[in-house]
Amino acid sequence: MTATANRVPAQSPARQRGLLGFNMLTGIILGVVGWWVFYLLGGLIQGYTNHGFSQTGQNDVQIMLGYLGGVIGFLGGLGFLNYPIQRMMGYPPNIPDHEVEEPGLGKYFRLTTDHKVVSQQYFVGIAFFFFVGGLNAMLIRTELLSPTTHVFGAQQYLTLVGVHGSMMMGMMTSGVLGPFANWLVPLMIGSRRMAFPRMESLTFWLLMAAGVVLITTVFFGGFQTGWTGYEPLANQGTAGYDAYLGFFGLVSISMTLLGLNLAVTIATMRAPGMTWSRLPIFCWSVVATAALMVLAAPMLTATLLMGISDRTLYTAFFDPGLGGSAYLWQNLFWVFGHPEVYVLAIPGFGIVLEILPVFARKPLWGYKIAVSGMLGVAIFSFFVWQHHLFVSGMNADLRPFYMLSTEIISLPTGFTFLAFMATLWRGRIRLTVPMLFCLGWAFNFLFGGISGVFNSDTPSDVTTHGSFFVMAHFHYTIMGGLLFSVMAAMYYWGPKMFGYKLNERLGKIHFWVMFLAFNSTFGPLFAVGFLGMPRRVVTYATNLTGLNDWVSVSAYVLGLSLLLFLFNMVYSWMYKRIPAEDNPWHSRSIEFQLPTPVPAQDFDEIPVFSGDPYPYGEALAPAGAEPATAGAY
Amino acid sequence: MAKRSLLVLSVALATLVGIAAYLFLYLANVPGSARAAQTSSGVNLYLATVPAAAANDPHPTWVSYYVTNKQDTNWQHKTTFVVPANSLVHVTVYQYDGASGLRNPFISQASGTVGGTFTLNGKTMNAIDPANASHVFALPQLGISVPLAGVASNAKDQCPNAPCTLSQAHMTITFTIKTGAAGLYRWQCFVPCAAGYIDGFGGPMQSIGYMDGYLKVV
Repeated sequence: MTATANRVPAQSPARQRGLLGFNMLTGIILGVVGWWVFYLLGGLIQGYTNHGFSQTGQNDVQIMLGYLGGVIGFLGGLGFLNYPIQRMMGYPPNIPDHEVEEPGLGKYFRLTTDHKVVSQQYFVGIAFFFFVGGLNAMLIRTELLSPTTHVFGAQQYLTLVGVHGSMMMGMMTSGVLGPFANWLVPLMIGSRRMAFPRMESLTFWLLMAAGVVLITTVFFGGFQTGWTGYEPLANQGTAGYDAYLGFFGLVSISMTLLGLNLAVTIATMRAPGMTWSRLPIFCWSVVATAALMVLAAPMLTATLLMGISDRTLYTAFFDPGLGGSAYLWQNLFWVFGHPEVYVLAIPGFGIVLEILPVFARKPLWGYKIAVSGMLGVAIFSFFVWQHHLFVSGMNADLRPFYMLSTEIISLPTGFTFLAFMATLWRGRIRLTVPMLFCLGWAFNFLFGGISGVFNSDTPSDVTTHGSFFVMAHFHYTIMGGLLFSVMAAMYYWGPKMFGYKLNERLGKIHFWVMFLAFNSTFGPLFAVGFLGMPRRVVTYATNLTGLNDWVSVSAYVLGLSLLLFLFNMVYSWMYKRIPAEDNPWHSRSIEFQLPTPVPAQDFDEIPVFSGDPYPYGEALAPAGAEPATAGAY
Repeated sequence: MAKRSLLVLSVALATLVGIAAYLFLYLANVPGSARAAQTSSGVNLYLATVPAAAANDPHPTWVSYYVTNKQDTNWQHKTTFVVPANSLVHVTVYQYDGASGLRNPFISQASGTVGGTFTLNGKTMNAIDPANASHVFALPQLGISVPLAGVASNAKDQCPNAPCTLSQAHMTITFTIKTGAAGLYRWQCFVPCAAGYIDGFGGPMQSIGYMDGYLKVV
């Protein structure tokens, strides 16, 4: 490290922390109170209009207002209203320059401005909802053990599919950015905090409220639309669909704010010397993803507001019978929905390319190519959405454009793969657990990408649309891409984040079981789809029973592999508790030059960056050599 | 260590209880099944279509099917009907709902029943006036569809909600079907009769336990 400027001033605790009682418990209590107050208010309003309620027994106004009141109460109980009220009363801004050490577990259950604590909150919160979503997947596969309905019936099956899809596509949008970008970005750019620390915390708690809202759908009859919520099926749905609207509404707000915060942080809070061309590749992936979030998620917010309006104010945006358009929903949804796919994928590119040079002991090949690839994917992703509508009855003249634009997006994706392969070429590869997951990511994403060509091509899409082929494709790209990169990140940065080592042997067993089970689960689904099995139908042709049973058993093993990871975390972090070294991988990245665990204030001094971000090689990092001083690139 | 273990165990236990409750909500929500009565002349299945479910139902305003294995007694709110394989099943439907008409007149004809006919209030026929239809009992996988005529709008003593009795205004429809191999066959009403929902297709029309269910052939 070469700079000594900007020494930390004397620590001063944030004022709002002095307000005792603003925590998760208070949030839950006020959330329940808020639900009932707004729910009863909704009953009064609906009583005046009486539109449809007497016939359907379904009061959407009450339910939507109940969700609104619940979320306001929850956030108020957590203390999110304190600061705005203080400011309105004339108090000055009080964002701390840096965090102070805070012992105990209480900080994990309330509003915090420490980016490292927020990232750990994200990690636990998202893991919980991932577990719930995964459990739904196990139930789906249990139902599909038989070609006829035998456990849940069609209605419950469709709700399981819808909750699973929404949970995974909604909550997991922050699966990388929540836990990892919040933790890594300030450290990597040499900042002590995010640009908007309270907003950072708000994005997390909004997401948790969203997850709870989605789960409440079972109290109102579930929803049978799948995660896409197509109209007019949705508008005809029971009150369970209100939970879908509330859930994605909160997710979209959380996504927008998270993206905005990360983009502003990287743009404005980089330390001296951290030029754009020195920005770690993971931060570039965050820039691309944040841009997608800020531009695409508001489209979802607006679409959902229109859907809520149709169900509560009796507008008819999406009802063809009253002059609306069901296509409007499909278009608006996928203008958000396809960039959303890359919100899930691009952070995985960044993680893999960040980790790869460390274990290949080579500089990242084609840094600028990789950056342009990720930015290219982000830009192109806004021009492909109608490939989801090829068989919807859209204007046939539009098909060639969207077919070509979709196929062109494979070019910037290919840049990433080129950087991946060339970095491995003649590298001194160490097959550690993070590296194994990176290689697994490449294998899976390649299959996902190649199968995607069949879906982007109009003639073949007509055959495969709505089948399990599509399902297999997007699980290869999203689960095979996102989840494997998240696992790579967990094994790579997890010990640094949480302070204790993960068991290497268990990690390798976890990888091989997960990798084989993943491919054994989703590989055969390509065949199942080609043989004509449609998605979102509880029954199927009896000749597909064998393949489906194979897939179900493989899915159970895949679920067990994730439990193995859970066991590794509990075993290593709760019982063995072997302190992690500061730099176990001999990484040149700045976060590994800091002590483990990383101090609350991150840096004693703001670092000054110089040189190349990936200086791996004989001259700079001989085997067994001590890592360079923090920030000395 | 003991304190930490206790905390971990408590959180894990609370999580498991929560997940078990969540699962139970799904599993407990599956409508039950009713077995048709076996007699010397065959199998008798008695159904009723009511304009609204019973007052204590989770959806008391929804139109619905009911079932019993005895004539006009012991009505149950179940829509999975268990019948034997390779048998003649005599179905009697007591129809208490008013007519709403058909958008597609084709389904005013009967198909798939023995003789291709049904009786309406004792009179044998193979079709009704599409404007008089209230519901349809259709089993697409078996090619069965029977139109159910509605109660006249000016009829006296109309049944507002279940349970309805034969002393109230109703239409009686009978028909016989021949079951084949064992299996689970989906049946449903094809008349968009969900009042208050857009195009009449929501709520009871898309909820098993109201206007659709299964014929379980065993």
